[in-house]
Amino acid sequence: MLNINRVDKSFGNLQALTNVSLKIEKGEFFGLLGPNGAGKTTLMNIIIGYFAADTGTVSVDSEMMTYENLTMRKKIGYVPQDISLYLELTAQQNLKIFGQLYDLEGASLNKKIDEVLDLVQLKERSGDRVKEFSGGMKRRLNLAASLLHDPQMLLCDEPTVGVDPQSRNAIFDMLNQLNRSGKTIVYTTHYMEEAERLCSRLAIIDHGRIIASGTLIELINLLNQKETLKIQKNAHTQNKIQALGKLGHLSETDFYYELLPNDSYLLHSKIFAEIETAGIPNQFVEISRASLEDVFLNITGRSLRD
Amino acid sequence: MKAIYNLIIKDLIRFLNDKPAVLLTFVVPMALIVIFGNIFGGSGPRGKVGIILVNESSTPVSRIIETKLDTAQSLRIIKKYLPDDGKDSLKFTEDIAKEYVRTGKISAAVVMPKDFFADTSGSLKFKFYYDPKNEIESSIIQGQMQQAIMSGVPRLMPVLMTRRAVNFIGSDSTTMFIKNISSLLEKYFDLSADSLMRSFTQVDTAALMDSSLQPDSSGGTQMLSSLIRFESEQLVGAQVANPGLTRTVGGWAMMFLLFSLTGAATSLFEEKQEGTLKRLLCMPLNRSHILWSKYIYTMLLGMVQLFVLFVFSWVLFKVDVFSNLFNLLIVIFASSAAAVSFGMLITSLAKTINQANGISTLVILVMSAIGGSWFPVTLLPEWMQTISRGTLTYWSVEAFLQVLWRQSNFAGIANHVAILLSIAFLINFYSLIRFKNGKVF
Ligand SMILES: Nc1ncnc2c1ncn2[C@@H]1O[C@H](COP(=O)(O)OP(=O)(O)OP(=O)(O)O)[C@@H](O)[C@H]1O
Ligand SMILES: [Mg+2]
Repeated sequence: MLNINRVDKSFGNLQALTNVSLKIEKGEFFGLLGPNGAGKTTLMNIIIGYFAADTGTVSVDSEMMTYENLTMRKKIGYVPQDISLYLELTAQQNLKIFGQLYDLEGASLNKKIDEVLDLVQLKERSGDRVKEFSGGMKRRLNLAASLLHDPQMLLCDEPTVGVDPQSRNAIFDMLNQLNRSGKTIVYTTHYMEEAERLCSRLAIIDHGRIIASGTLIELINLLNQKETLKIQKNAHTQNKIQALGKLGHLSETDFYYELLPNDSYLLHSKIFAEIETAGIPNQFVEISRASLEDVFLNITGRSLRD
Repeated sequence: MKAIYNLIIKDLIRFLNDKPAVLLTFVVPMALIVIFGNIFGGSGPRGKVGIILVNESSTPVSRIIETKLDTAQSLRIIKKYLPDDGKDSLKFTEDIAKEYVRTGKISAAVVMPKDFFADTSGSLKFKFYYDPKNEIESSIIQGQMQQAIMSGVPRLMPVLMTRRAVNFIGSDSTTMFIKNISSLLEKYFDLSADSLMRSFTQVDTAALMDSSLQPDSSGGTQMLSSLIRFESEQLVGAQVANPGLTRTVGGWAMMFLLFSLTGAATSLFEEKQEGTLKRLLCMPLNRSHILWSKYIYTMLLGMVQLFVLFVFSWVLFKVDVFSNLFNLLIVIFASSAAAVSFGMLITSLAKTINQANGISTLVILVMSAIGGSWFPVTLLPEWMQTISRGTLTYWSVEAFLQVLWRQSNFAGIANHVAILLSIAFLINFYSLIRFKNGKVF
């Protein structure tokens, strides 16, 4: 359905995208995972035709997406990363304006507006001005506004930033439901948990390059070591953890140290021997399945969160 | 204390980084001071007020006055005109001069009629036709006229006074009186009675030509001014219900039009900031749709704004906007088109909304000051008047004067409208190119 072929884009001296090629099939839920500044939004902008690529092409259903190709845009719904709503107007008014610009009108428009408001659970607030909405409510409305014209493909650029877990789940359910009803979804995020939960296939992007792509299983299989160790951060572990550095790649999050062991430490027994030597109590250590985070770490040598 | 100091420094740094704010704080007032200074402070030569002079009298006195007026420093004396068909310019006649005043080509005309200095009259007779489209200008003309006459002909006074006396007490008694006075003066001051008599009854042309003669003391000038008769006739606006507002409403309307339409045009920046512009551009819409909708919307807004403003001034102050409605609507259309193009130009040139606001406020205020929104352009120095003809405001204000004050027909505004629309067209053309290559989208 969507074919991105050798796309380059630079802003002045900054090379934002380098030789990006992706093929996304109809009905897929495709994830684009990458850290801040990786080029996710830039790629989205090129797909929708907001600006053109320096070189390379984008085609949808084997028709070229260009700047001037307006009919193609009717097939696509785009949820911008930044809230793009008229804050002075009510939710209802916003949806009406955007719906009309997609050539919807009259009863069918009103029905559609009700439908999407229902979907994002904002029906009760439809008469309130958007500027009075909470951050998460704005996000949900931002999403709703891109669904009015029943697009075949939905481009979501980090649609869950600032949304509380409950609403986030509601958005996930909604997107899954849309995907099941046949819509192709391209979803960018820097949360690997989101990518893992939602996407049937995904690509990892870093510094404007696609560094890996495939299904979740395919990506995890890129790693020799399918497991990692999580060690709780606390007074007992803090000053002893350095000793584990030689076992593999050690990174830390707010509450955990995470160890992705080298190939020479594939056996649990070997690892735990070292942990005991280091004097780290067993009860703070847990073995977990490798994640996309580890894939990213393994390829780039950096953590996704850096 | 330290906290307050640090907070002040913070404000200062933020202010200095906000170039439009600096512009509005210092540059805009400075520009306006320069303009006002030139008008009221008298630095540099003030522009001359144009006036038509028709001399139908053939007396030496009128010729003298004519040469005096020619050299008057604040007046530009116009005596000839170019007829519509002919190539050679012709001398103004009284009728044509009146027509020029009536159609707004000039503010005033002075005629020295055939009976300008008729032997029996006790004073010099001038006819003065004027269009008080601006009061300051009218009073400058009158003052300058009087000054020119007075400075040129102080020696007229004895003659004029004698004539008055003759008219008043009769010729014989006057002659007798002068004779007596003269012989009295001869007796006590050792003067020749003959030469005294002559100075009372004759005009010494050679002396009149002597430019070294200065006006008399103020008592003398006052007396003289009562000896000069202006027969004034207001040719324009005599029936206007509210002259003050009728003359000025167009200027103010244009200024606010420029502000509101520039605001509407630069709302593109707000839409960009809000992100809604991006959403629109990701819809089945392209840039030219958005641009044209902006043009048309802003244009309509401007026309409605002006119309409401005029109707409002009719309701409250009886400014007559309906008797020349059709032409008024044409001027409203042209002015809005010009103001829209200005707003879009600013939008296409600026990089941010702050920049747009800063530049537009500066340019609008300066254009309003020198283009005639606040006071008549003729008060400005000549070089500024030349610049003012390059502003949108000038042509719009003049066109509103034509339709509201002078109740002019379409021929009277055709030029103005053509100029406004051409400016609008050229500016739009340029800003469309800018938009194509620019950064707003
Ligand atoms: N209009 C622009 N002008 C200049 N540079 C830009 C522009 N848009 C993006 N960039 C640069 O391109 C790079 C990629 O930016 P992009 O917004 O695509 O990242 P992203 O992956 O969406 O990041 P995030 O997760 O923070 O949204 C960044 O270094 C950014 O500074
Ligand atoms: Mg982004």
